Amino acid sequence: MLANFLIGLREGLEAALIVSILIAYLVKSGRRHLLPQIWLGVAIAVAISLGFGAALTFGPKGLTFEAQELIGGLLSIVAVVFVTWMIFWMAKAARSLSGELRSQIDKAADASRWSLVIVALLAVGREGLETALFLWAATQTAAQGTGSTAGPLLGAALGLLVAVVLGYLIYRGALKINLSRFFTWTGAFLIIIAAGVLAYGVHDLQEARFLPGLNNLAFDVSGAIPPTSWYGTLLKGVFNFSPATTVLEAAAWLLYFIPTMTIFLYQKRQRAHAAPSRPAAQPVGVSGRK
Amino acid sequence: MITTRLSRRARLLSLPVRTVILLSTGTVLTLPLLAGCTENTPAGNTDANAGGNPRALTVQATDSECKLSATTAPSGNITFAVTNSGSKVTEFYLYGDDGKRVVGEVENIGPGITRELVLKAEPGNYITACKPGMAGDGIRAPFSVSDSGDQGAGGYDIQLVDRANDNYRNTWRISPSSWWR
Repeated sequence: MLANFLIGLREGLEAALIVSILIAYLVKSGRRHLLPQIWLGVAIAVAISLGFGAALTFGPKGLTFEAQELIGGLLSIVAVVFVTWMIFWMAKAARSLSGELRSQIDKAADASRWSLVIVALLAVGREGLETALFLWAATQTAAQGTGSTAGPLLGAALGLLVAVVLGYLIYRGALKINLSRFFTWTGAFLIIIAAGVLAYGVHDLQEARFLPGLNNLAFDVSGAIPPTSWYGTLLKGVFNFSPATTVLEAAAWLLYFIPTMTIFLYQKRQRAHAAPSRPAAQPVGVSGRK
Repeated sequence: MITTRLSRRARLLSLPVRTVILLSTGTVLTLPLLAGCTENTPAGNTDANAGGNPRALTVQATDSECKLSATTAPSGNITFAVTNSGSKVTEFYLYGDDGKRVVGEVENIGPGITRELVLKAEPGNYITACKPGMAGDGIRAPFSVSDSGDQGAGGYDIQLVDRANDNYRNTWRISPSSWWR
């Protein structure tokens, strides 16, 4: 039960974090009208994953290993692109909060409605198929008649539930902190998450033999951080940290992380210089904020 | 608590919330239905199947063992139904004869769960491995695939493109490895 719980938690955590940060951002910046986009993306991802997963589990056809890895790997890399877009979109849209450009940016935000749907869709759908296959396998175990047990399904569902609750708590917490601090922290946090997703995608593609070097490890700390432990689960679930990381994964991680974080911090500093003191007239239509 | 939040915003969110609710309700409703379908499909994950189809193998994995129903199979599309009766989460791998090249892998096989690995196997020698705890080299054993003349679906040819529409899996089975080589 615990082991299946940890799988559910690990698979759900990252998606829950990204989606809750996105929701917190929209609510904090008074853009609640864009929330439906997020829910739509989440709903589509859940529906496709469960539907496709069910068809593969119970239907006459399965999915080959390569196809699954390819789907997982490519979706991960596309997800990185969109999450990166989201980080910089949030930062850009944040600037408008303090003043004049707001309506202009909001028009742009409306143009990015579909991008928001896709961010949410990818955040959830990236590992959605694998999670759905796992859930349906657990369901099969629960429904199989002889020696059947609902334990694995309960554990897995509970794990996913806890991931969603953690996402919700982060959302609640994010509502309380100051907006500019929120951007800095969530932006930096999301960059680390995205770097992990990219490394994960590279690993999937290596397993599918799309990319070489699967056995060329940069480091292996499986001994110190067992993947089955709760901290191994959290590290994997949030940052996609793999105790046995290949050289190519590590390289992709660094090649994404260093420039993206540099640009992010540079832009942040520029903004701080451009507007050294926040206007005294604070209540600039942050009407949606609680 | 989430539902109360949603209902408070119901006006703003009405349409998608309805979508979400509909979809989740649909899922809850279809879940038992779909689960019911298991009996109809010969999923290859029951022991009874082990003797029948030589390409449908079972793997009994525990924290210390990795028992396959057979150590050889005819070439073509092979299914390994891996059942974890141990206490740790396990993974099942099929490696090439160098013990490194991953031919196929299925992960997240939680305790009590059965998951399937489907792959197209060419004749040759392989190594199977269960990895209880998801780390290390795993419990390894040799495995061989005999030449049955059936290469499984696949091979990169123009006809496949035409066939792609009838069979999603065939589309995918223009496998990346065939581009790679």
